[in-house]
Amino acid sequence: MKSALIASLAVAFSTGVALAQELPQKDSKWFTDAQAKIQEMVARQPNTKRAKNVILFTADGNGVGTNYAIRLFSGQQAGGLGDDYVQPQEAFPNLALVKTYTTNGQTPDSAPTASAMNTGVKSKNTMINVDESVSVSDCAGMAGHELKTFAEIVSENGKSVGVISTARITHATPAGVYAKTVNRDWEDNSRLPEGCTNQKDIAAQLIDQMKAGVIDIALGGGRGHFIPAEVTDGEGKTGKRTDGQNLIEAAQANGAQYAWSDEDFAKLTLDGSPILGLFESSHMKYEADRSGEPSLAEMTAASIKSLQSNENGFYLSIEAGRVDHANHDGNGYRTLTDGKAFADAIALADELTNDEDTLIIVTADHEHAISFNGYCGRGSPITGLCYDIDDAGVKHTEEPLKGADGKPFTVIGFLNGVGSVLKEDKQWTGSRPELTNDEAMDKDYIQQALIPMSSETHSGEDVAVMAKGPWAHLFDGVIEQNYIFHVMNYAVNAE
Amino acid sequence: MDRRHFLLAALGLPAIAAAAPWPARADDTIRLRDLYNKDLSFSGYALEREGERVSISGYMAPPLKAESHFFVLTNRPLAVCPFCETEAQWPDDILAVYCKRVIEVISFNTRIVTRGKLELGTFTDPETGFVSRVRLADAVYERA
Repeated sequence: MKSALIASLAVAFSTGVALAQELPQKDSKWFTDAQAKIQEMVARQPNTKRAKNVILFTADGNGVGTNYAIRLFSGQQAGGLGDDYVQPQEAFPNLALVKTYTTNGQTPDSAPTASAMNTGVKSKNTMINVDESVSVSDCAGMAGHELKTFAEIVSENGKSVGVISTARITHATPAGVYAKTVNRDWEDNSRLPEGCTNQKDIAAQLIDQMKAGVIDIALGGGRGHFIPAEVTDGEGKTGKRTDGQNLIEAAQANGAQYAWSDEDFAKLTLDGSPILGLFESSHMKYEADRSGEPSLAEMTAASIKSLQSNENGFYLSIEAGRVDHANHDGNGYRTLTDGKAFADAIALADELTNDEDTLIIVTADHEHAISFNGYCGRGSPITGLCYDIDDAGVKHTEEPLKGADGKPFTVIGFLNGVGSVLKEDKQWTGSRPELTNDEAMDKDYIQQALIPMSSETHSGEDVAVMAKGPWAHLFDGVIEQNYIFHVMNYAVNAE
Repeated sequence: MDRRHFLLAALGLPAIAAAAPWPARADDTIRLRDLYNKDLSFSGYALEREGERVSISGYMAPPLKAESHFFVLTNRPLAVCPFCETEAQWPDDILAVYCKRVIEVISFNTRIVTRGKLELGTFTDPETGFVSRVRLADAVYERA
């Protein structure tokens, strides 16, 4: 049977070659590249080994559209036109489109999406790792409805677990790895309603999970949620806790190493012992503004090196949390610079691990109300103006395209947000301002938007999942977001 | 050595500060971000112009209280994201603006230019408790 297959493949190849020889376009690079891709696909073999390690990369708010913009940005930063650039995750062999809706939200927030990936079931917006029968903020009603997480499952099987985010480590996506809460905003005790005894605040849950041996490494922002209001941290900012508890000291008392700056971070011993790194009082800085903090790639590398000391393997969740925040701000530049930092972390993780035993999954939790204008010529700067197509060449002309109002427009726009051209002090009327490419390319430029809002919104549009390693081929077609958990769980248990 | 380089050297600032791009605008208006270096230390421009009247562009954050002489200028429109923040968190790179008159609120997403006397150093507003590192005093402002 195997011989018959090989024989028929050989016929297919020879047919392809014969066809190519007859075509006038056979020497075009587009043609030969695609022919090479056919051979790569035909030769591809699925990896059906058991996954020792699982790395789940999530860029918050990095749907298909945002990912497209990051690709062009990275390619243009590298000196090219942008669109033909290949991000490290885009070279992964397997891909699916992911439906991100939740049990009550056509548009999700990051809490139920993290839940779906960490527990295998969808749930309500605002809640983390609690089933859909419970109402938001119903502390009394949550008892018995907590879900078991992938971190808890693999920890019982002897694996180590790490969680990294450039947002607060108590923010929804990282909290999905270790916390169970009926409200994502209960990041410290001051937000927990009086009389709520069925759950602790999210920061306290992280420290409990570290103490329990479920979480081995936690790196991110959010220091303020771990220290009392009367305590001032190393950067002069006070804590938020009103129960007097210093959770950082509690973690240290349980043997965790602690770091709060890039200097501390460089001194960490990466031997598998517990590590807590809290590099900002709130979110870590955008990559464009980063100073005194490790990069996402540096945190990724340190975590992998430490977790690799466990011969049973590890689960590591890594979030680029601020792609989302810059989209909320309507600021294309920071969305894309944080997206590039995300890709750099993926490349490094791929380098430090073995495809034979490590399943790497790259996805997003949801998309944003980001959109793209046309018809731009190739090389139009992704954060700048949309220039006309050159009918006689490849790169765009020097002529910016204009709307019917006679004004140029940028490639990226937002359907809503702070960049709205409708202004409150003009009774919600307005018009698009004049705009030069230099103004649009400024790192603080806010792309134009339509509906006025104090914060641009998520959208329910699909995101992609790209994967490599054991059982990555189980990602195919259009999937529900909770299916991601099932692939991870299957891969680590495969016989 | 010109005055700026002399000042930087005298203050013992790192070489990177001296190499930072000098804000150049025909009308002498700078952006708020030009007051800070990346590590949030004051820029050479801020140090040199302390005590002088300067023009700075940015956005008026929604005022903390009505009938105020005071507002906060931000680099980008201050967005409070319902799914990102449990409460409004001020960015580090802001400017407290104390005006000559009670302020007329301008939409938080409309760029403005404000002009006033540049003051550096930590100050706690006795009325609001707002702590600022840099301020404009006797300020006026208009839409950019």
